[in-house]
Amino acid sequence: METASTPICLGNWGPGNSSEIYGAREKAEARAEARPTILVVDDERLLADTTAAILRHAGFETRIAYDGFVALEVAGSFRPDYILTDIMMPEMNGVELAIAITKMYPVTKILLFSGQAGISEILEQSKAKGFEFPLLAKPVYPAKLIEGLRKLKDG
Amino acid sequence: MTSNETSAQLFGKTNALTEQAKNFLAAIVATSDDAIISKDLNGIINSWNEGARRIFGYEADEIIGQPILRLIPVELHHEEDFILGKIRAGERVEHFETTRMRKNGERFPISVTISPIRDDNDVVIGASKIARDISDRRRADESRFRLAAIVDSADDAIISKNLNGIITSWNNGARRLFGYEEEEIIGQSILRLIPEHLRQEENEILRKLRAGQKIEHYETTRVSKSGAIREVAVTISPICNSKGEVTGASKIARDISDRKKVERMAIEAEKIATTGRMAAAIAHEINNPLASVLNLIFLARQDDVSKQDIQNYLATAESELERVSHIARQTLGYYRDTGSPSEIQLRDLMQNVLSVYHSKLLAHGIVVDAEYNDLRKIRVHSGEIVQIFSNVISNAIDAMARGGKLSIAIAQSAKTERDGLKIMVNDTGHGIRREHLGKVFEPFFTTKGNLGTGIGLWVTRQLVERHGGHMSISSGTEPGNSGTIVMIDLPFDNSGDANSVNTGQSGSSAETR
Repeated sequence: METASTPICLGNWGPGNSSEIYGAREKAEARAEARPTILVVDDERLLADTTAAILRHAGFETRIAYDGFVALEVAGSFRPDYILTDIMMPEMNGVELAIAITKMYPVTKILLFSGQAGISEILEQSKAKGFEFPLLAKPVYPAKLIEGLRKLKDG
Repeated sequence: MTSNETSAQLFGKTNALTEQAKNFLAAIVATSDDAIISKDLNGIINSWNEGARRIFGYEADEIIGQPILRLIPVELHHEEDFILGKIRAGERVEHFETTRMRKNGERFPISVTISPIRDDNDVVIGASKIARDISDRRRADESRFRLAAIVDSADDAIISKNLNGIITSWNNGARRLFGYEEEEIIGQSILRLIPEHLRQEENEILRKLRAGQKIEHYETTRVSKSGAIREVAVTISPICNSKGEVTGASKIARDISDRKKVERMAIEAEKIATTGRMAAAIAHEINNPLASVLNLIFLARQDDVSKQDIQNYLATAESELERVSHIARQTLGYYRDTGSPSEIQLRDLMQNVLSVYHSKLLAHGIVVDAEYNDLRKIRVHSGEIVQIFSNVISNAIDAMARGGKLSIAIAQSAKTERDGLKIMVNDTGHGIRREHLGKVFEPFFTTKGNLGTGIGLWVTRQLVERHGGHMSISSGTEPGNSGTIVMIDLPFDNSGDANSVNTGQSGSSAETR
């Protein structure tokens, strides 16, 4: 089932190239106070790209990572207010990423989203380590996603 | 009995008791195994043969002239009055079973026949007494009675039959299980208990019995008097005569209906669990593209997008929906299992299962290497084969949480006795510990804590064996070289296999690599 690897030309709403992802460092201080920042992490590229585009429309400053290790790296420079991450990803799963981020940058708020009920094993492991994160089920309506992030901010 | 009568009875003529004939009789008496004793009407012993010496322990010269009461336990002395009374009246006492006493005081069971002795004038002058030690017979009787009591009180049906399949004995357990009374079934054919479609089993059973073979724990169905089907496990052993020839068979049948019912329920439960596992994997495959489609529609609706962008969003959404329908076709199609076997290419089923677990394999960083050399189609229940593959693949994935290589090979089996396909699934996971390996096929054994049901492999093996196949697992836990190999053999032709009588251990095995 070859899927997400096909490059898709979607015009200018996409996150664009990796230089935009990594080039955030010097902009960090110049960031407008009002614009919340978010890092979207998903190995399903189309989903990561479209989700980021929606959040940008909603007024977020967004970055994208397609796997957990890159996400850790980006988070180090970008220091986002929020991380929205898929759970089932190769090498480092979303919960492992969330735990690492929470330890390094405790102020970052994390929202998990997953398309699978069968991730309870991963969630149980994190619960056993004393970590619990809010979880949204895929597919999530964009309006609900934005609402979920707002709640996270207020809560 | 007068001497003439005795003569007539023994030699066919009245005047035959010559000196020679008397010597002849004396020789018989002397060599008889039975004790032959004579006494007068006062109960005094006046002759004593070799058999009497062996049985009672007294020499002739120490007992002749002594009262017969010496041989009778004190509490039974009254018997002698009764016996002498009969003898005086000219009557015989035949096969009278009582207790006597040896010289050393030991009491033992005995069977005696006592006859009056008459002189030539027909006057009773004493008695002859022939006594047989029946200790051995008593012991044999006792153990026979004990065995009979055990057989009769057994919960299992215990039946014997001759080599023509005619029932020769029938215990209470058999009555309870099959509903026939002993008197209505003995002499009838054992085929009465065998359902129509399994009648050929009996020929096979008789063939094995004639060859002196035993049939152990063979699971089959039988039918009761009322026509109800009974699921039983039978053990059938040949019965041999003293020359070692097989003359019949004993058959012990145990009702396993309840156990079978529990097994069927467990298999159903596991089917649901497998379906659940696969549904979760399928959900993941489908939910990702659906989430993208929702996002794309949302984006296309925004006010500030160009017409060109809208076109792009919708085109991408369309291709994502195509992807969803492709996944649905591939992964859900085989659930349309008709319940009857069909000819299929085994690799297609394996590919289906791999596509269900595609994301999970990817997420775990597992590389799949599949090699298919199964040119010939095989006749199987595809739903059950998918369940078998799904179980083995998902076990392999669980064993490789930190990535690894999953090698799959399907090829024509090299075995000569039966054509079929061999499926090998080899993972480089953590392996199964030696102490666990012997238990992996047991129901409710799991190493996965709360996350495992513990019946996956047990059911998998049942499904393999239901297809007439065989399954084995070998595993190693040595760091750097650990992993598990699952081998499954499935025959091309499984017709009639389910009904064959299996005397050996039906084999699925697990061993340390």
